[in-house]
Amino acid sequence: MLTIKNARITFNAGTVNERKALDKINLSFARGSFTTVIGSNGAGKSTLLNAISGAYALDSGHIFLDGEEITEKPEHFRARIIGRLFQDPLKGTAPNMTIEENLALAYGRGTRRGLSIGIRKADGVFFKEALSRLGLGLEDRLKSKVGLLSGGQRQALTLLMATIVPPKLLLLDEHTAALDPQTAAQVMRITGEFVRENNITTIMVTHNIDDALHTGDSTIVLSNGRLVLTLEGVERESMTVERLMKVYSAAANDSFGDSMLL
Amino acid sequence: MALGALEQGLIYSLLAVGVFVSLRILDIPDLTVDGSFITGSAVSVMITQLAPEGGASALIPALSLPAALAAGALAGICTGLIHTKLKVQPLLAGIITMTGLFSINLLVLNEKPTVSINGRPGIFSVLYDLFSVNPTTRKIVAAALLLVIVALVAALLTVFLKTQLGLAIRATGDNEDMVRASSIDSDNMKIIGLAIANGIVALSGAVLAQHQNFADAKAGTGMVVVGIASIIIGETLFGKRSVFNSLLSAIGGALAYRIFIAVVLQLGLKASYFKLLSAVIIIISILIPIASKSIAERRAKEAKNNADD
Ligand SMILES: Nc1ncnc2c1ncn2[C@@H]1O[C@H](COP(=O)(O)OP(=O)(O)OP(=O)(O)O)[C@@H](O)[C@H]1O
Ligand SMILES: [Mg+2]
Repeated sequence: MLTIKNARITFNAGTVNERKALDKINLSFARGSFTTVIGSNGAGKSTLLNAISGAYALDSGHIFLDGEEITEKPEHFRARIIGRLFQDPLKGTAPNMTIEENLALAYGRGTRRGLSIGIRKADGVFFKEALSRLGLGLEDRLKSKVGLLSGGQRQALTLLMATIVPPKLLLLDEHTAALDPQTAAQVMRITGEFVRENNITTIMVTHNIDDALHTGDSTIVLSNGRLVLTLEGVERESMTVERLMKVYSAAANDSFGDSMLL
Repeated sequence: MALGALEQGLIYSLLAVGVFVSLRILDIPDLTVDGSFITGSAVSVMITQLAPEGGASALIPALSLPAALAAGALAGICTGLIHTKLKVQPLLAGIITMTGLFSINLLVLNEKPTVSINGRPGIFSVLYDLFSVNPTTRKIVAAALLLVIVALVAALLTVFLKTQLGLAIRATGDNEDMVRASSIDSDNMKIIGLAIANGIVALSGAVLAQHQNFADAKAGTGMVVVGIASIIIGETLFGKRSVFNSLLSAIGGALAYRIFIAVVLQLGLKASYFKLLSAVIIIISILIPIASKSIAERRAKEAKNNADD
């Protein structure tokens, strides 16, 4: 489904601030797989997702999506089959437009935007029904500006927008980090439902190691732009948070001689 | 006088609508306007001159309006390309196009600073001939025609903003990341938006040229500021609850601005002070909402203190 070969991204190359955000990353994600990504602040997790979505261009390496090389393709082109949630809940929605206008934009994913009417009657009914599944009461506020919603409501709406036309690949960047525990749990539950129902290939970044180990089917660990650990199957099932911390710092020590906490 | 101000207001309300599209919908302060306004005037006058001398058909001058709109749209596309493809700041991209347009406008006008329609029929003069020569009737006829044009532009723009493309353009000015994540090419949206904005601005210039029977290559300076002033005055007077409300406010603002200018003119202010006046009006219109907010806050504080006592 998604293959990344020898991907490198270096920020501020050749200056004192040089930072290898992705360092020779090789990864492969099977169709329908759910992978969680962990790593300390600045490990390169967001950069990895940005490289996949096309927000950042690779310095070298290749990315193949669904059998097609997309390394040079622009972000909007990839977005036809990639859905995305950002770390910042404000980033995924247009605040001065209404809930239904935001949904209508997302609903047109993969199509050419022409001069046909933006929100048809039938769309309104469909949006209402989809919103009611979030259980946040947003279905009665179709004409409210999104800027009036709370962060959690906006992130739930973004989740709906990212999945309203089921994408082939879903990128989640700590999408519940800015939410209160209760809302976070709810958004996480809805995420799980959407992903399972539509069998979407998913990559989820999180700082919650427990979430990382118990959501999806494999976990990768990044450190300083490198892939230091891949956990799958039995090894992953038997992994505890304490042991992962140990394994992780050992792996990080191995390659860099410094220890960093998750 | 009031009727003259109404005509001017309607003509410049098109300018305000054009600037509204770039400034408020795309969130781009576009300085192309100072050039594209005159491009509209120049194209309209030169096409009108193609009509046979002594003719009475409004066809050619009427066709000059969409031609002017198209020319303005081209200017907008230039700015859009410079901004999105060459990654130049929008402000600078607008200045580059505007500067180039000064020469292009002169070229279109055969390198003359002012060109009249040379007694050829214009959209207004054809109508005047149809009705009467009475100056008051003329003004009413002119105002009615202008009203039709402004209403048509506002209605078409409103419908457009509700289409899929219109929604995508509005979202581009609101959250570009989200637009790209929805598989929309935000660069194209900016280019189309700037084309529409400058097309409407050029239409405004064309209608002005038709109304005064000539094009003036030098009259463009400060048009952006006039447009922005109209928008801000409109928002202050008539609100900005939704895009459609703001759009009507911009038109109302342009009318209010012209009426204000007419009054000041009656009071004896020289025309050379107009641009300064426009700048001052913008500052004042920006200050009014800030001041009223801080007064309201102070009142609320005092009320709270009194309650605490
Ligand atoms: N646009 C950018 N310009 C310069 N440096 C950047 C940019 N984006 C990321 N970096 C740097 O690349 C490194 C990796 O950043 P990234 O955002 O991928 O980390 P992360 O793993 O997502 O961290 P966090 O857990 O804090 O979100 C960091 O050192 C960061 O400072
Ligand atoms: Mg991050």
